[in-house]
Amino acid sequence: METGAAAERKVYSVAEFNRRLATYVGRVRDVWVEGEISELRRSPAWATVFLTLKDTRTGACLSATMPRRRFDPIETLTEGERVQANGSLSLYEARGEVSLRAGTLERVGAGDHAAALALLRRALAAEGLFAPERKRRLPRFPRAVGLLTGVDAAARGDVVAAIATRYPAVRLVIAETRVQGPWAPGAIVAALGRLSACDGVDVVILARGGGSFEDLLPFSDERVVRAVAGCAVPVVSAVGHEQDEPLCDLAADVRAPTPTAAARLVVPDLDELLAGLGRSRQRLGAGTARALERDRARLERSGERLAVAPRLLLERRRSALDRSAARLQALSPRATLGRGYAIVRAGGAVVRDAGTVSAGGLVEIELAQGGLGARVEEVRP
Amino acid sequence: MSEQSSFEELQRELDEVVARLERGDVPLDEALALWRRGEELHRACVERLDRAELEIEELRLGDGSGRDSEPPGG
Repeated sequence: METGAAAERKVYSVAEFNRRLATYVGRVRDVWVEGEISELRRSPAWATVFLTLKDTRTGACLSATMPRRRFDPIETLTEGERVQANGSLSLYEARGEVSLRAGTLERVGAGDHAAALALLRRALAAEGLFAPERKRRLPRFPRAVGLLTGVDAAARGDVVAAIATRYPAVRLVIAETRVQGPWAPGAIVAALGRLSACDGVDVVILARGGGSFEDLLPFSDERVVRAVAGCAVPVVSAVGHEQDEPLCDLAADVRAPTPTAAARLVVPDLDELLAGLGRSRQRLGAGTARALERDRARLERSGERLAVAPRLLLERRRSALDRSAARLQALSPRATLGRGYAIVRAGGAVVRDAGTVSAGGLVEIELAQGGLGARVEEVRP
Repeated sequence: MSEQSSFEELQRELDEVVARLERGDVPLDEALALWRRGEELHRACVERLDRAELEIEELRLGDGSGRDSEPPGG
């Protein structure tokens, strides 16, 4: 009997049902649920943070909420992270939906990270990934600089400002990517590959401002560390603060304390370059002036020598002539006669042998001054 | 002064020219030729620096899923 059955039914309105259900659901208190954060919706305008916990194995989902004042201190939590949530169940009566009202949210394995990191660091160091001999020198004049940074990161502004003031004669190729959360390592590796393959990119800056230990974890991810070590061009790492020392810093070719410092390392200083060029030009002028001066001096010396040369020649000739005259003089018979010798001729011929004249014969005697006609008294052959 | 030479190449040549000139054993003709070349290199270097402006290029990356939002060939 339909009417009879209907009369026996206890029928609730939806609102009434949900209200009653809410009291049952509300009895579930202080439970722990573990899952992966899959949807995180938060706004400064909301007092509540909404998220979905997802079972990584089956994909089953549970809505959860958390008061924003409780969530804010751990706001570094991002989607994809495994958490354990503690709270009570509540029913959203308007929709009949159950959600976990969490008071505590704990990252699973957060304490294990440090130990795992130390282990990875030792393993990679043993492999030689951080060895000094692996480090490459940075190019002095990169054609283009690659910058890998987080979306809207202050680090980006620092690098751009530093390069713009220091050496604007360069191209800057910027890749903004996720630098936080479980997808960050893959994104960083992909961006690094793309950047280093860009035409002209001769060096890459990895820039990430400071953050919590967890924030910087992607930069210690093995994939990222290997990608940095194996990057086609030198990498300058400026990740976190000095004491953080993420593993990518150890694998990078150069470690910079800040993004600004990294920018200064990868490009030369324009003012210094211009000053250097000015000095080169001065030396150029001075060198040329010296060469000119040296040749002028050489030329002057040549001129002087040229001027005295004819006189020297004349003098040399004159003295040679004088010497010849003296020698001529010496050979002249007159000079011999002048020294007291005499020439005896008989019949025009010079007498050299006493036997060629006979006693009583006539001979001519030539003296230095004048001559004598004489008769031979005696011949002594 | 080829446009293809990098600033670095031009600067290195300028340094070489200066060094040769300063060795002091270059004949005058060559010294003058070096000086002219040096002046030319100096001007080219300064011009490069003067006219240079920082050029920023955004690399469009995918959303991390491996897809790429960049047009092909870009």
